[in-house]
Amino acid sequence: MVEKVKIVMDEDRCYLCGGCAGMCPTLAINVGPKWEFFLDRCISCKICVTACPVGALKAVPLEGES
Amino acid sequence: MRYDVAVVGAGIAGPIIARNLARAGYDVLMIDKKAEIGSPKRCGEGINIGIFEKYDIPYDRRFINREIYGAKLYSPSGYELELRYKEVSGVIIERKVFDKMLAFYAARAGADVWPRTEATGLIRKGGRIAGIRAKHEGEPVEIEADIIVAADGVESMVARWAGINTYAPPHEFDSAYEYEMLIEGYDPDLIHLWFGNEVAPRGYVWVFPKDEDRANVGIGINSDNPQTAKYYLDKWLRENGIPARKLLEINVGAVPVGGFVKELVKDNVLVVGDAARQVNPMHGGGMAEAMEAATIASRWMIKALEEEDMSLLKNYTREWWEKDGKRLEKVLKVRRVTEKLTDEDLDLFIQILSGADAEKIAGGNYGEVIKALLKHPKVLLSPRRIKLLKELL
Repeated sequence: MVEKVKIVMDEDRCYLCGGCAGMCPTLAINVGPKWEFFLDRCISCKICVTACPVGALKAVPLEGES
Repeated sequence: MRYDVAVVGAGIAGPIIARNLARAGYDVLMIDKKAEIGSPKRCGEGINIGIFEKYDIPYDRRFINREIYGAKLYSPSGYELELRYKEVSGVIIERKVFDKMLAFYAARAGADVWPRTEATGLIRKGGRIAGIRAKHEGEPVEIEADIIVAADGVESMVARWAGINTYAPPHEFDSAYEYEMLIEGYDPDLIHLWFGNEVAPRGYVWVFPKDEDRANVGIGINSDNPQTAKYYLDKWLRENGIPARKLLEINVGAVPVGGFVKELVKDNVLVVGDAARQVNPMHGGGMAEAMEAATIASRWMIKALEEEDMSLLKNYTREWWEKDGKRLEKVLKVRRVTEKLTDEDLDLFIQILSGADAEKIAGGNYGEVIKALLKHPKVLLSPRRIKLLKELL
């Protein structure tokens, strides 16, 4: 089973290039003037984390969170 | 408010469509989420010289940084292949001026242009798409339009809202990182490209000169690589003893290198450019492809509006696939073969080609290149290499 995660963005590293949003299979990320994440759409595939040119994204396990 | 056409995105494809439609007498609005059109760029800024005439774009010195006469390719062990032309073969432009001028041409032709306006959704009325919702400086705006153009870049949402499938697997994207910086020691009349599985997995490192001592120095790697593009570029600079201390810009982005969108039209919504993954999958350049798609799309939009028959828009999908789609699928095949090359293959091929008939190669005679490689004993003795090269013929 895929470990359920949420994606966290490091504002100091992110350039708002939109690459993560473009690659997300489920529209769980929107990059406009700011970076937005929609947990309900995320399928924990972590494509965005690997793809980020600067490593600004992190997958944080949801387990243990309420 | 009401327009004939609403264009989302003022990059390359958007302004060309806006200009063409405004010239044909239609009411056009082009919006862009950025406050400053053209910036930040996600681009190496190199483009073929032929596009200016072909797409009716003025050759304006205000956005031309430097004229380029060819390219130099470097293999992992340092073999070099130089392709130099007598005439200017390409230019390194300044996107933040270029894009703004493209938007200016659109506005001068009659289009309305609003930066800092982000599309937030579609307006649906009676089962059809009637326009787009947007936000300008926080104020919601409703824009009704007969045709909507999704030219909103790699992160395109508009096409997906309309139900156009723009998904491509992560392997069909490159992850890119670039410094505009001061750099010395590279012929500023050529673009320079370094290949190698340790240098830039699946992609290459580029130096695109904007001045004698200033260049875009960037990298593209497969986006499903566990390391970042930044990691590989910084490593390359370090290993080559190139100081990265005089930096003028840092640019970042994802580049579609395959996964061309199959259905480019859904009802009255069209998708173009990076949003449609219309990028050359071999070198990752997408400006010329965006211009071509925009030109084809414009023609069918004008026809659809003239005849008040939106079903004509579908012809954009058909014509694009017949023309540029077919060509890019071939290029994609080449990309898929080249990503199987080992460093030894790259060394050998560049070594062979540097001793081959340079004029034929420089002339872009692709068949000749493969034939020259296939004749070499080190290729003939390797069934794997023969198989790879034959896949390219």
